[in-house]
Amino acid sequence: MLIDAKQAFTQLSEETLITRVKSGDQNAYAALYELHVKRVYGLCLRLLADREHAEDATQEVFVQLWHKIASFEGQSQFSTWLHSVTSNIAISYLRKHKNWLQKVVSFEQSGMDEQSALDCQGLNGLDKLVLRLPERARMVFVLHVIEGYRHEEIATMLGMAVGSSKSQFHRARQLLKEWYENE
Amino acid sequence: MNKPDFDTFLAESINNSDSDITPQKDLWPGIEKALAHAPQPQVKASLWPKITGVAACSVAALLAVQLLFSGAEPATSVAMSEYFTQQKQTLLVQYQNQPALTDNWQQQLAELEDAERAIKQALENEPQSPALLKMLAQVYQQQLDLINKVHAPKWQQI
Repeated sequence: MLIDAKQAFTQLSEETLITRVKSGDQNAYAALYELHVKRVYGLCLRLLADREHAEDATQEVFVQLWHKIASFEGQSQFSTWLHSVTSNIAISYLRKHKNWLQKVVSFEQSGMDEQSALDCQGLNGLDKLVLRLPERARMVFVLHVIEGYRHEEIATMLGMAVGSSKSQFHRARQLLKEWYENE
Repeated sequence: MNKPDFDTFLAESINNSDSDITPQKDLWPGIEKALAHAPQPQVKASLWPKITGVAACSVAALLAVQLLFSGAEPATSVAMSEYFTQQKQTLLVQYQNQPALTDNWQQQLAELEDAERAIKQALENEPQSPALLKMLAQVYQQQLDLINKVHAPKWQQI
């Protein structure tokens, strides 16, 4: 199905694909998925620091996107809109998958262990360090430095004070610097 | 050769960063399966059950805040429990004929109820502890959120 869709829709522009998807064309959606899956997965992996969770969240993004795409009016670039949808779904995924104790005591999960981060394929040196950051510091760093969100926006997305977003960013930067210099 | 300093490394990594990472498994079959069970909705389903659920949760959260910051009185946790129990029952009745999106939601609810019992037990020794009252309010809130979430008219799990 996906190969057929790719062949049939290779020549179509993203705009045309989106129009077709809005009318319920799943083959066009498969082609749109092919165009964006690597970027969506990349963002999910950086935010969640767990390969399986990133795969689940990526699937969740594309299932929800199917329903949400009718609300995309083309006022911003599709990729910008998709990044915003992906960030929100990944954050919500992380909240959903915490157990009650983590939720009640706001327990922060640590990042990926060093060896697992080194074993991750397709990542550059900075990414491998970012995946090791603790949860909040990692999310703030990825959203601010890699995705370009302002601290005010991150604070709203993560439900924290602007000052906390800034301090988590500095914490992330310090840890990354320390790890980089000790490598 | 010396490695660059951290600021240079950071700037270069960000400038040369490729956002794309290929997932190790093919994710499309799962998505396709989920879409097959959830055709693209053209007309929005009735929002009223969700709106009333959200309203109940908001009122519950406001009550919790009011109880916490109006000075804890001995009966605070009792008043909070009564209010949340009523809200929970209302939601359970409201959704009783609606299928849940997950099979194990009652197990998740039972876990939250275990937590509720543990916190209430701790409150018997420290009835005015703001931290315990806050935890109790959060556990109640999570129960309401769970009930709403699993009955929300959304796509089925992959």
